Amino acid sequence: MAARWKAALVWLAIAVAGFYLINELIVVGVINSFIENMLVTIGINIILATGLNLIIGFSGQFSLGHAGFMALGAYATAIITQYLGNALGFYLSMAVGVVIAMVVAVIIGIPTLRLRGDYLAIATMGASEIIRVVLNNLKITNGAAGMYNIPALANWPTVYVLVCLTTLMIVNFARSRAGRAIQAIREDDIAAEAVGINPTKWKLAAFVMGAATAAVAGSLHAVYIQTIAPSDFGIMNSISILIIVVLGGVGSITGTFVAATVLGVLDTVLQSFGTLRMVIYALALILIMVFKPSGLLGRYEVSIRKLFEKKGVRHGTADSHESE
Amino acid sequence: MALLTVTNLSKKFGGLDAVSNVDMHVDDGELVALIGPNGAGKTTLFNMLTGVIPPTSGKITLTTATGTISLLGHKPYQVAKLGLARTFQNIRLFANLSVRDNLLAAMTHRYTENFFAEIFRLPAYYKKEAKVGAWTDALLREFDLTDVADYDAGNLPYGTQRRVEIARATATSPRIIFLDEPAAGMNPEETAALMKLIGKLRTDFQLTVVLIEHDMSLVMNIAERIYVLNQGKLIAEGTPNEIQKDQAVVDSYLGGGVHA
Repeated sequence: MAARWKAALVWLAIAVAGFYLINELIVVGVINSFIENMLVTIGINIILATGLNLIIGFSGQFSLGHAGFMALGAYATAIITQYLGNALGFYLSMAVGVVIAMVVAVIIGIPTLRLRGDYLAIATMGASEIIRVVLNNLKITNGAAGMYNIPALANWPTVYVLVCLTTLMIVNFARSRAGRAIQAIREDDIAAEAVGINPTKWKLAAFVMGAATAAVAGSLHAVYIQTIAPSDFGIMNSISILIIVVLGGVGSITGTFVAATVLGVLDTVLQSFGTLRMVIYALALILIMVFKPSGLLGRYEVSIRKLFEKKGVRHGTADSHESE
Repeated sequence: MALLTVTNLSKKFGGLDAVSNVDMHVDDGELVALIGPNGAGKTTLFNMLTGVIPPTSGKITLTTATGTISLLGHKPYQVAKLGLARTFQNIRLFANLSVRDNLLAAMTHRYTENFFAEIFRLPAYYKKEAKVGAWTDALLREFDLTDVADYDAGNLPYGTQRRVEIARATATSPRIIFLDEPAAGMNPEETAALMKLIGKLRTDFQLTVVLIEHDMSLVMNIAERIYVLNQGKLIAEGTPNEIQKDQAVVDSYLGGGVHA
């Protein structure tokens, strides 16, 4: 059997096992609603951070406006589920949010992705602030008060499945023709252009893809928390997503998973420390950045397929040239 | 048949005439060298030919199967798609990608992949990847890079990096390849290997080669025709023998006692 099938099966088994593990722990009572809440927050953060990692880690574009795209998804869901308060309405609203986020990402991306580094960060930050200010002033979004009584249409399994789905999409995107093009641009945009890669097109593709997943996370956030306000999607929220990406390792999806989990748990555990919490949190960040500046995992990725292939090569059965 | 024709090409940087009124042509299958002292405008000329900087005036035309087209106003990636590949004076590899991925990235314009086939790993994706993977393997073998295929390109020795860069340019499936000082920093042994490699580009890949080089023994050995630039102007054109005897070239560049 080809290594790719084996690897896919192992990943599927891990996903299903993880699901049953959480399910059992809830049934047994080890996971109470407090921990469940933490898990959902971690899940939403994973969706957000993998999308941002695609933009920052793979295409090398330093975007600081991720919360803006999340807001678009959240508000699309909050508004549509008011009229259509069932599962159909939720998934429809998620789709609408994704499409809106993609369109807005194209509109923002075309002018701003010409910029580099700090300039791009400031421009995307500004764009996300514009989204927030617009939401703050529209009637349909209920202004600064935000929207509440959003029907609770998502529980942890919904989040779990969507984490798996968006991660699968982003990882596969990053390891394909598109992914190679955007990574080439990250490495050297002049050389990338000299080998026939259109930098604008591919930078935009990564940006739009990241925005789409942020909208998915926003939709989940809206129906899980059930209350949203424009202030939930400010610059600090963009930065906290960025922290996950940087901490886990820019360019490592595995690292994003680890960092989102570590930070989520740390955040919850430290709640009993009161105001000291932010100090410890900040110290942990500083320490990791001092001793591991490339993030917890750098660019390392867990690959079950590589594991199989290595074994195959050792036994002389698999043709290593078939890899990638 | 002239594959690439340059007519009256000029580039001004402010008050400086980096390249002025250059006329040249490159025939199909030819190996043309561009020589001249530092600052003569060789790389500027390369940059104009590959679309990196727009010329101030003049024309660049490429003969294709469907007719003659002007290269002016084309972006570098469009020029690359038209079949003009290049290497850089200071090596520009995708340093953190493996050698294999460097080559794969250079092939992206030679095939398309459906977005949904990509993200859901449909059979069409594997079919495409197998095809492109076979192209890459063949290229790796041709350039003797199979052993280092999975190393990050940035960690390889200098001479190997040069070879990867030439392989990457070849991966775009070009008609003309522009090599900007490929022998710079190489020892005589590596230069000899490079000479063989350039020969291979012409025989095995049927490429037309345009070369900027300061290593005169290399140039005089392999070039069929030489253009000499000095202070932005073309001062001579001819076979290696003619160029070596040209008084203007000897005075401005080669100096007295060079017998390559």
